[in-house]
Amino acid sequence: MRMLDRSPAVHRTVVSDRREPVPGIAVLGLVAPRLAEMTLPGQFAMVIPPGGGQAATALGIYEAEDTRISLMLVVVGPRTHELAALPTGATLDLLGPLGNGFELEALGENVALIAGGVGIASLLLPAQRLASRGKRLTLLYGARTAQALVDADRFSELGAKVVCATDDGTRGHSGFVTDLLRALPKRAFSGIAACGPSPMLRAVGRAAAYLEIPAQLALEETFACGVGACWGCVVPLTRESSQAPKFPHVETEETRTFVHARVCKEGPVFWAHELRW
Amino acid sequence: MGARTSLVNAKNVTLSQLDVSVKLGALRLSAPTLMGSGCYGSGEEYAPFVDLAALGAIVLKSVTRHPRLGNAPPRLVSAPSGLLNAIGLQNPGIDAYLENDVAKFADRPCAVIGSVAGFSVDDYADVTERLAARDEIDAIELNISCPNVGTEGETFACDPALAEAATRAARRVTGKPLIVKLSPNVTDVAAIARTVEAAGADALAVINTVRGMSIDVDRRMPRLGNASGGLSGPAIRPIAVLAVWEVAQAVKIPIVGQGGIETARDALEFILAGASAVGIGTGNFTDPRAPLNVVAGIRDYLAARGHAALGEIVGKANPRFLGAR
Repeated sequence: MRMLDRSPAVHRTVVSDRREPVPGIAVLGLVAPRLAEMTLPGQFAMVIPPGGGQAATALGIYEAEDTRISLMLVVVGPRTHELAALPTGATLDLLGPLGNGFELEALGENVALIAGGVGIASLLLPAQRLASRGKRLTLLYGARTAQALVDADRFSELGAKVVCATDDGTRGHSGFVTDLLRALPKRAFSGIAACGPSPMLRAVGRAAAYLEIPAQLALEETFACGVGACWGCVVPLTRESSQAPKFPHVETEETRTFVHARVCKEGPVFWAHELRW
Repeated sequence: MGARTSLVNAKNVTLSQLDVSVKLGALRLSAPTLMGSGCYGSGEEYAPFVDLAALGAIVLKSVTRHPRLGNAPPRLVSAPSGLLNAIGLQNPGIDAYLENDVAKFADRPCAVIGSVAGFSVDDYADVTERLAARDEIDAIELNISCPNVGTEGETFACDPALAEAATRAARRVTGKPLIVKLSPNVTDVAAIARTVEAAGADALAVINTVRGMSIDVDRRMPRLGNASGGLSGPAIRPIAVLAVWEVAQAVKIPIVGQGGIETARDALEFILAGASAVGIGTGNFTDPRAPLNVVAGIRDYLAARGHAALGEIVGKANPRFLGAR
């Protein structure tokens, strides 16, 4: 069998399709054969702005099949507006695949996927992989409002039980997605894979600890380089973590127990119990 | 490529024969582009995306005498046309650095410049001596201008006497080319440049980041863990071009101009103001191919205007340019 080279590179891709499942959220389909083949669930790409002049944008890789990948983005500022407006056939250069993905085997047989907002984008590939291995899946999906729950049916199609929460109560539980988690009995799942804004992931981590469920969190951070060069995106991580970078070897009262790990390089997926945030 | 190499200018120089090499003291670079310290790791992080052999030099992340954990996150905030950062010189300290890291720099296909930061004159002397002694290191950049480590880090670049003392201390312990990186956060950057030149610097890097802050009005607190940070990117380019202009009227040693360079035309502003070479930091975050595009664009510019070498246009916009071309 041919060994697949998974080392990242600059990829020139071509926009194949685009849709706006709800106003303000865009899914950009790209012809990117090598990326589609290489990408592991939970990895991301740095998208080079076609017009230059601004930093690259880090986006989780949403779909990867045959020769196509897709990226999901919230259209908020000039960078995302530029990307969302790209016509079919336009070229888009990106660096990828970057970071380490989920350790799916460590999640067991009965897995909860927990998504906040467009954090859903980093969970479809894990869901597909887990479903193909016959794991039981539950998606706990939270967003501001019913309209912002994007593509939940993609997960039901994989056999996942889908439970929703909205801030305004327009669909499912009225409140946070983490409320759903806290209401469950201990060890209700064998593992959790989550992606969303940091406050949500912190809450998932706390709930998972209480419920005694191992949880992997895909962090959303502001990146500058995205490739491990600038040390701008660090989180405190326990020294004992297998992901802890060897440097720096700082030993003070305050820092004996943790190191600063780069979300883009050592992450973006970390075990919740190893984060010291 | 055929069309490019056949392009012959008035002096009968083909594009590939154009001389874009540059000398910073005894350090000769095949291209006039230096990757800014702290933005490029040790180079290996970018090796999958760009041919390191085409870069002029990599300026390594700054190292200090003692290990540093760096600032608490968040360390990055985007700003209009720029990036505000406060990393805080996270590094393993010179002992561990010499033991674990420096040997890996031997196989870099471009020049490798070590960066030294410190909190006392003694720090600069000690770390410079030990780092410069290694064969893997081609030159030293003295970072006397980090704005993100309390007041101590930048004091050296803001006080002529301290800038001179740090430079002199480093000069005494190494014969390798010594580049001193200046801060824009001063009243008279030219005055500092003069004292640093007199203290024995071979070249100056102009500028480091501009101090700045961003406040989250909902949470009513600064966005950066360190509260204040250093602003980089296109937002600071005019500040940097002016600093180069002023320094180029004050010193004869070569200047590495930096601050928001993303394209060849950006770089040419610095060169015409008086920089012999350019630094690219934040520009790599937009596109890692930026340094290559900058060099290609400079070649095109020189060819189109009938020049044979980059040196011919250094300081050309600056009537009181003092340096040698």
